Amino acid sequence: MRVLDQLSSPLIRRALLEAVLVGALCGAVGVHVLLRRLPFFTLALSHATFPGVVLAGILGVSVYLGGAVAALGLVLAVATIGSTRRLEASTATGVALAGAFALGVLLQSAQSSATRNLAGFLVGDILTVNAGDLAMTALFGLVVVVALAAFHKELVLSAFDAIGARAAGYSASRLDVLVLAIVALTVVTSIRAVGTILSVALLVTPALAARQWTTSIGRMMVLGAAFGAVAGVAGIAASAQWDVAGGSAIALAASGLLAVTVAIQQARSLPRRLGFT
Amino acid sequence: MFRLLVEPFRDAYMQRALVEIVVLSALAGVVSVYVLLRRLAFVGDALTHTIFPGIAVAFVAGQSLFVGALVAGLLSALLLTAATRIRGIDHDAALGVLVGAFFSLGVVIVSTQSSYTADLTALLFGRILTVDTAEIVETTGIAVGVLVVLGLTHKELVLRAFDPVTAEAMGYRTLLLDLVVNGLVALVVVAGVRAVGTVLVIALLVVPGAIARLVSERIGPMIVVAVGAAGLCGYLGLAASYEASLNHGVRLGSGSTVVVALTLAFVLTAALATLVRRWRRRPAASRPAIAASA
Repeated sequence: MRVLDQLSSPLIRRALLEAVLVGALCGAVGVHVLLRRLPFFTLALSHATFPGVVLAGILGVSVYLGGAVAALGLVLAVATIGSTRRLEASTATGVALAGAFALGVLLQSAQSSATRNLAGFLVGDILTVNAGDLAMTALFGLVVVVALAAFHKELVLSAFDAIGARAAGYSASRLDVLVLAIVALTVVTSIRAVGTILSVALLVTPALAARQWTTSIGRMMVLGAAFGAVAGVAGIAASAQWDVAGGSAIALAASGLLAVTVAIQQARSLPRRLGFT
Repeated sequence: MFRLLVEPFRDAYMQRALVEIVVLSALAGVVSVYVLLRRLAFVGDALTHTIFPGIAVAFVAGQSLFVGALVAGLLSALLLTAATRIRGIDHDAALGVLVGAFFSLGVVIVSTQSSYTADLTALLFGRILTVDTAEIVETTGIAVGVLVVLGLTHKELVLRAFDPVTAEAMGYRTLLLDLVVNGLVALVVVAGVRAVGTVLVIALLVVPGAIARLVSERIGPMIVVAVGAAGLCGYLGLAASYEASLNHGVRLGSGSTVVVALTLAFVLTAALATLVRRWRRRPAASRPAIAASA
């Protein structure tokens, strides 16, 4: 394991810490993404942060700020297009996604140093994470975890029974906005680690793996966070071992975890399906 | 006006780019209506990402990128269709997992190469200005094939879109029909991705259909509007990027300018459609006599 030899390097230590933080955060939030069937929206959100990130790079402000503003813009655009009624949500999301992504590319192409950091924005650049990024990730993660814990009951209720939640006096639209904001914040947080395209992988795959093991939402979130963190460590180790892109190795490790989970579940249910019990 | 709209296309490379855009627009415009009907925007976007490892493997192995994209495209269409049929796993979640797994596999493969960044960029954003005649021929071939299949299966596909239960009861194999649609979307992505990049392909697969839906509710007119809108925006986008890059010193990527033109066309159409609907909804007394009698 080359990663063990390299543990003395602060570069690898920071990358590992970032991967664990982002993986755990995405794994926990991912459970809510699955509950509310938001994977496509998450993908759109991750693409839409791209113009914001590019613009932030041009203006020299924080990447996180640019991503957050762009994510907010996408949420508004999808809501506006969706309210025209003639187009249903997935088309609205698709239109907003394509427009936002193209805007990012256009901004980038108008720059003289065209392809400089493009790949870094798109697929992440986890080995260049610095202490400031780590602090930012920890802070955002803390905010998200506190929000999730504080509104856990309301979020779960409205996901399973929107009408019941409304009857119980909760504002459905406010809870929707809360979830979208949490997902947006998570996507923005993971930009540095896995890039704008692959954050959807970390937000869906570990949570889906966790769902194969338990039906309790709380346990699912803990397990999803654990899977995400494990995928983060495994990805960094694989990246150090074979010298491949770190963010993508993390996403691939998450897919591997899901594949193992599904295989184990299939094997466990085999006797029952064959009629032995 | 002449200078803005005709002059850019005097050069051979701009003519080739225009032909490629027009052929792709005709193809994607038609398919986008089916994408809209079947709510396949996510599937289309997923396919633009899942095709990536095929291109990456072909690139590393020194094989034809076209063949690599074709194999990965058809394979992922098969997997996507299968994944949306698994019970207990939400369609969207299955798509999200496939996107993550395939795309990251592609990035991992490409990242073993030294020219990593430039290759990735070219794939994502295309190089429409360097399209050659062979690529145009390939695109045209795919376009003809896709349109023929759509013509042959149109009735069944529309039935499946609007009333899956009846289609099933009438003995149509909906799995096969789903496979056909996903395969066709994959072919459009394969046709377009190398020339114009994933960004433009996903836009061409979603936005023209959305524009057409704002204008009409009937499938025939929707197809006409979608093809027209895609072709017109392709033409205007190319002209705009040429003008901006050459005469104003702002380098606008041609592919992304086309997408921005499409998005603007969508916004304009949506605004117009809203105005028209408000006008129609006004009580008859407040309308001018001609409108009231019409």
